[in-house]
Amino acid sequence: MSGTTPTTPRIALVLAGCMMLVLAGCRAPGKPGPAEPRPDRVMEFAKLYKQNCAACHGEEGKRGLAVSLSNPVYIAIAGKEAVLNATAKGGPGKLMPAFAKSYGGTLTDAQIEVLADGIVRHWGQPQLLAGKNPPSYAATLAGDAAAGNAAYTAYCTRCHAEEAIDKTHIAGPITDANYLALISDQGLRTAILSGRPEEGMPDWRGIAPRPLTDRQVTDIVAWLASLRKTPASPNTASSKEKSHE
Amino acid sequence: MKDLKQRGLRIFQWFEKRTGLLKPLEEMARHPTPSSAASWWYVFGSAAMVLLIMQVMTGILLALVYSPSASNAYASLQFINHNLRLGWFLRAMHGWGSDFMIAIVLIHMMQVFLFGAYKYPRELTWIAGVFLLLLTLGMAFTGQVLRFDQDAYWGLGIGASVTSRIPFIGAPMVHLLLGGPIIGGATLSRFFALHVFLIPALLLAFVGLHLLMVLRLGINEWPMPGRLVRKSDYDRNYVALTKSTGVPFVPDAAWKDAVFAAVILLAVMACAFFFGPFGPGGQPDPTIIQTVPRPDFFFLWLYAVLAFLPPEMETPALLIAPVAIVGGLLLLPLIAGEGEKHWSRRPVAVLMVTLIAVTLGTFTHLGLHTPWSPAMDSWSSDPVPASFVEHRTPLERRGALLLQQKQCRNCHSIGGVGGRRGPALDAVATEMTGDQIVRQILQGGGNMPAYGKALSPEETTAITQYLRTLRGPGLRPAADASQGLQPQNASHPVDSTKGASGAP
Repeated sequence: MSGTTPTTPRIALVLAGCMMLVLAGCRAPGKPGPAEPRPDRVMEFAKLYKQNCAACHGEEGKRGLAVSLSNPVYIAIAGKEAVLNATAKGGPGKLMPAFAKSYGGTLTDAQIEVLADGIVRHWGQPQLLAGKNPPSYAATLAGDAAAGNAAYTAYCTRCHAEEAIDKTHIAGPITDANYLALISDQGLRTAILSGRPEEGMPDWRGIAPRPLTDRQVTDIVAWLASLRKTPASPNTASSKEKSHE
Repeated sequence: MKDLKQRGLRIFQWFEKRTGLLKPLEEMARHPTPSSAASWWYVFGSAAMVLLIMQVMTGILLALVYSPSASNAYASLQFINHNLRLGWFLRAMHGWGSDFMIAIVLIHMMQVFLFGAYKYPRELTWIAGVFLLLLTLGMAFTGQVLRFDQDAYWGLGIGASVTSRIPFIGAPMVHLLLGGPIIGGATLSRFFALHVFLIPALLLAFVGLHLLMVLRLGINEWPMPGRLVRKSDYDRNYVALTKSTGVPFVPDAAWKDAVFAAVILLAVMACAFFFGPFGPGGQPDPTIIQTVPRPDFFFLWLYAVLAFLPPEMETPALLIAPVAIVGGLLLLPLIAGEGEKHWSRRPVAVLMVTLIAVTLGTFTHLGLHTPWSPAMDSWSSDPVPASFVEHRTPLERRGALLLQQKQCRNCHSIGGVGGRRGPALDAVATEMTGDQIVRQILQGGGNMPAYGKALSPEETTAITQYLRTLRGPGLRPAADASQGLQPQNASHPVDSTKGASGAP
């Protein structure tokens, strides 16, 4: 009994001391972190990109389904203005939605600016195409579909055909009317100009033995655009199918 | 030392002579209790009271800083969390104290019910206890509103809309509660008054009544099978039992109460320390739609029940069930005030407790885990995992892109990522034929909206083509078996959507 009496208060003191230390320190696991800002006050590029862009353009701007934003060639050709415009107002093919509040989206103009600026600063390489004289991002010439057909057959069908010659890069046909209905002329032009490096599609310089000219690119797009038609609705397609089978 | 003791005693006697308060208090503390009632099963009531005292103390401290106005409440919560030393801990104690209090009150109630302690002569003690339960729940709800965040805002909306369905007085009640027809400037003032003045005053009054009756009627003896309660001889038997086995409440029974209450207080502190305060979540602004509001833990069962009720059942259930439940609880001791106390002789009582516990537990679990809300930002933030897009044709990739853009992912996950409102699409092609997929997309059904008017034929084709590629490893796509039976089709592959793609 005499042994326990002095130690009990000592243990209690030590425990109380520990408790005070723990409570006074900032190491409490339950201590809340910084408050979440309102969705329209989020200004970090990484967070905005993840919330709004990552689903289609891929984490880190690559391996996505839409244009690869981490492709510096794309950034160099499109430029910040086009990126900003597309983010705010959406793309012409309607698959890229408008994100600005004024166009029915959820982001403020300041957030759109953070995104466009971040994309260009993160993944762009200034002076990448300096002196390379790339074709302009938007088409300026009128296309010639017949010439485009020839160029397409010569350069694109290596990979884009049912029976592709280049067995290492079988990319699937792009003359499918359904596919063409879902991609705008600008979308086709962007793909030809900047390529899809992660899937092995070269940019405008690597498609043909010599870099494609603005005229060739415009012609190929015109040829593909001429293949668009108004396809039958799925209902008539399935009835056609039944009569066929 | 002795001198000091003498002087202390003299001061004590000076006060006692004038107030006469301490002698009755001492008598109360030493009142005899059947020794069988000095049990670890009898500690929950006192623990609930200790928690109430803790809630009052932490509540007063919070009220010193909290600002009950719609425009400032959120900022003042943030101030307590981040700018006050240990303010977050105070909020956490109050929040966890509330959860613990409801839990302890429910356990106390269950114990009293199973021990038959509500029977003669303690009927009114039970009835006061039912009001205490309702008041405790009222405190929890009003407290959730004062934590003015998105959960509070939308929870209040639900509360108001439930109230508005009461016939005749619904609208005036809502007006009274919210201080207007909608959640506005006066709303928080009303709830502050309820949470800080009205309900606590009633709560303390009922606790006083409850305690008075416990002291007056004595603590319920440990029930024995076969020892029936009869109004004619219960009092005599109880007095005899207390005489023969009685022990003073303090200290013989009270030390267990003290130890348990201390354990509970430590548990509240530990939860507060390790898990922190509840919220505040997002700002209470109805224009922010990126939110999945959920009620606090003890209202989750109600949230689940309301979610599962068919619409036409809502109003009857909301108006009849609470009246029936509260009425049943209030009438219980009046109907079953005599007879057997021991749980082993009351199978219906045991079954009822089990059924209610399982029901509440199941609904709480459903409330916690059922993905009722789509993942509203999945379409823009969750990429389709790489293995689900590799080796696809350009058209199929467009289909995958459309799957994002049309926000299908908000309800359908792929590769475990995405909403869980609808079925996962990982292997949809092994479950549905192309025709079935097209029909499902266009016409909807089984809780899925029809997308026929929102999709062009090309878009439908692209999405279907993509979905046709989603099948488990080594599995063949689902096929329409009837097509194989037609002789001219025998050599045809059954991938009927191939024709719809319009390949050149």
